[in-house]
Amino acid sequence: MRSVVLRANPLVQLSVGLFSLLGSFWIRSLPVALIALGAYVVAGLLLLPGWRYPLVCLGFTAIAAVTIVYSTWRLGGHDVEEAVTAGLRIVVLAGPGSVMAGYVDPSRLADHLAQTLHLPARLIAAFAGALQKFTGFGLAWQQLERVRRVRGFGPSRNPLANGGYAANMSFALLVQALRGASATSIAMDARGFATAHDRTWAEPAPWTRLDRWALVVAALLGCVPIIARVAGA
Amino acid sequence: MSSATTSRTRFHVHYRTIDLVTITTLAVAFGVIFWGWGKLYEPLSGLAVFSYPPSSGLLAGPWLIAGVVGGLIVRKPGAAFATEFLAAAVSTFIAGGTQWGFSVFASGFWQGLGAEVIFLLIFYRRFGVVVAAAAGALAATFESVYEWNSYWTDWDMGYKLAYLGFFAVSGAVIAGVGGFYLVKALAKAGVLDAFPAGREQVTEV
Amino acid sequence: MSLGGARFEGFTWRPLGRRDPVVAGLDLTIEAGERVLLMGPSGAGKSTLLHGLAGALGTTIAGELSGTAQVEGRLGLLLQNPADAIVAERMGRDVAFGPENAGMSRDEIWSRVDEALASVGLTYGRDHFCAALSGGEQQRLALAGVLAMRPDVLLLDEPTSMLDGDTSASVRDAILSAAEGRTLLIVEHRIEPWLDHVDRVVVLSAEGAIVSDGTVRAFLDGPAPAGVWMPGMPTPAPLDVPADLVRPDAEALSIAATEVSVELVTRTLRGTQRTQALTDLTAAISPGRTTAFTGPSGAGKSTALAVLGGLLKPGGGMVTPELRRWRSRRLAGAVGWVPQNPEHGFLTSTVGDEVRHTARKLGREVDVDRVLEVFGLGRFATSNPYRLSGGEQRRLALAAALAHRPGVVLLDEPTVGQDPSTWAAVVGWIAAARSAGATVALSTHDADLPLDVEHRMRDGVLQ
Repeated sequence: MRSVVLRANPLVQLSVGLFSLLGSFWIRSLPVALIALGAYVVAGLLLLPGWRYPLVCLGFTAIAAVTIVYSTWRLGGHDVEEAVTAGLRIVVLAGPGSVMAGYVDPSRLADHLAQTLHLPARLIAAFAGALQKFTGFGLAWQQLERVRRVRGFGPSRNPLANGGYAANMSFALLVQALRGASATSIAMDARGFATAHDRTWAEPAPWTRLDRWALVVAALLGCVPIIARVAGA
Repeated sequence: MSSATTSRTRFHVHYRTIDLVTITTLAVAFGVIFWGWGKLYEPLSGLAVFSYPPSSGLLAGPWLIAGVVGGLIVRKPGAAFATEFLAAAVSTFIAGGTQWGFSVFASGFWQGLGAEVIFLLIFYRRFGVVVAAAAGALAATFESVYEWNSYWTDWDMGYKLAYLGFFAVSGAVIAGVGGFYLVKALAKAGVLDAFPAGREQVTEV
Repeated sequence: MSLGGARFEGFTWRPLGRRDPVVAGLDLTIEAGERVLLMGPSGAGKSTLLHGLAGALGTTIAGELSGTAQVEGRLGLLLQNPADAIVAERMGRDVAFGPENAGMSRDEIWSRVDEALASVGLTYGRDHFCAALSGGEQQRLALAGVLAMRPDVLLLDEPTSMLDGDTSASVRDAILSAAEGRTLLIVEHRIEPWLDHVDRVVVLSAEGAIVSDGTVRAFLDGPAPAGVWMPGMPTPAPLDVPADLVRPDAEALSIAATEVSVELVTRTLRGTQRTQALTDLTAAISPGRTTAFTGPSGAGKSTALAVLGGLLKPGGGMVTPELRRWRSRRLAGAVGWVPQNPEHGFLTSTVGDEVRHTARKLGREVDVDRVLEVFGLGRFATSNPYRLSGGEQRRLALAAALAHRPGVVLLDEPTVGQDPSTWAAVVGWIAAARSAGATVALSTHDADLPLDVEHRMRDGVLQ
């Protein structure tokens, strides 16, 4: 059962975050927030394949939630319960989606975006291709860092000066990225991409019975705050 | 992304391979930059929030730059939206993701839409610094309103407006003016020759 | 023109930003089944001809095109950098890209994929990650992607120039066996290994005109064209670089690595990959000598250089002095490092500023004009570094990294893919720095580079 989230198709995986986002708009009181969060915790304990990665994601979300708790308390009339509710709401809004994003395989997602959602085929194919540049960008970034350090322009302790450093690095990375883009499009066109009007896909984008059930569960989880609120919690 | 389809039928816009590859490559590069900024942003925004909460809007401008840059370079309907939305998507796929979960897709949607609307309003004819700043500011405005309803629900209205103001300034300056000069610098580096933005910067030798 | 032929008629191309065409009124006919080697000095428009046939001119590459360049039948194009051609995460899917574009059925796609992968000798299976392939394997994968379209004409744009000797031989074999029965048009800098396998050699001048066109025999008997590597040609005389431009302005350090191990961490979208790049390396570099790390790609040469220069943290072992802990400015004063890809080395927006940049930060004087003159870059002082040609960029990257006269001079693959004049400039600077007392170290698989000490490496281990 714990492999369910890994086997579900990527659209279903992402739907968990979408439903939690939509459901979170019904959270307006502390009990509802706690019930919704509780539902996700239970689902997570039952269905997630591991606990380490989700906990890291949740940690990041919690840090973000703390700033929301504080700002809501300060700017919303110093109401502690309201502030805590707002914070928990953010955990429900963002947490499930940020955990699930870690399980999405971008290549499979591209197949589903094109074949299930029928988004423009060439844009999706180009996007799937561009994702392969990620590792190359990382390697280029390392080289750019080395050059700056050995030429006397490494990062300094002054955070403001580092803004310039980050901008200079980002610019150099973009130049490298776009330089590769023209070679890539020449290579893609030579393989028939310019005229790929009726493109087919080598891999199918299936919807299994498991996918359908998982989608229902994701939707139900999203509905928990609505149900709780209607039930008067 | 869907706007790219509709635009093709409505405006008869043809996307060349280089257009699509540039949009998606920018999206991946900016996705990486967004992800990095997200990790840096948390401590900085913490500082801002604990001093005067709405001022954290000042730090949010960098998130909007992909749409402005994509629109300024490719200059076709849907380009600004697609670049911003895909860049946001990429930042969530990177291992370790972002703390905002699916909300990043929503933000990418509103930010991309904000920039796109400005380019649409001038019929994709002008791409100067004012247009760029306006695209950044409107992207910030759309995103602010989304955040009022998702993150800052219980702030008093005055603070919400202050947040929007800070965000819009940051969007106009960092994403708008910054994006404009970034495109200019990329053009001078010779990597935009396939686009009008590049051809305008060329001197013959 | 029969299936598999290619033809240029009045072909003229003026790229964006150039006042004059690089190729003007060119006529050339290639018959079906012919194997043609196209050569000429840098900037002669060799790649332009291939881009013209591939339909990239005036669309992806901006400029003014007139005349015709056309191929009868389907074409396949192989580029210099295979990473540019990879469009999918896994091998099978990458090869499937062309058949998908052609709208083929799933059965047809996979039968072509398997056939193409087998024909280039990649046996890892469809689900193997592209990113896990070596440079040579990636180039063979790119070839498989081309073959899956069953092209009639194969266009090859310097397909082996980024690879070391053994690897390029294996890629060349794969290309030649795939080319059986197809028309072949090859552009290469180092032509020698191809000569036995082609029927015809076309030589372009620097102005993009055809200077000779005939059999390999006729070509070898004719006058040697300028600016290209000819078979049996003696290595060019190193450029004479004045000693005052290279004499160290800082102590030339001796650096020693003792049992150093390095594990490289590569970030992928889905996590991180770790590879053991160095194992128990013990080596030293010292003043007045050129020390070279040699060996095939992936042997750990670049990593060894980076670890000695304090650019990379060793996982185990020791480097003395421990440059890794030095602050950026102090390190810059002592060490100069030229990256393998020259574009990674640029920090400013003009050629002149690039040469001045580090020296100014350190408060050292640099005669920018003379440095640029030595490298033949004088007229580009106000140009944007990214706008220069490949060879010019290589020379500028070297000047930018070393003009401030560091005591330790490190160069990563400084001569790969360079024409003779750039080769002479790079080698000249290295020799002059060494004679002036600098500590020089480099990673290379160029057997012609003069060196004092050689460390042969393989799989991260000193042989």
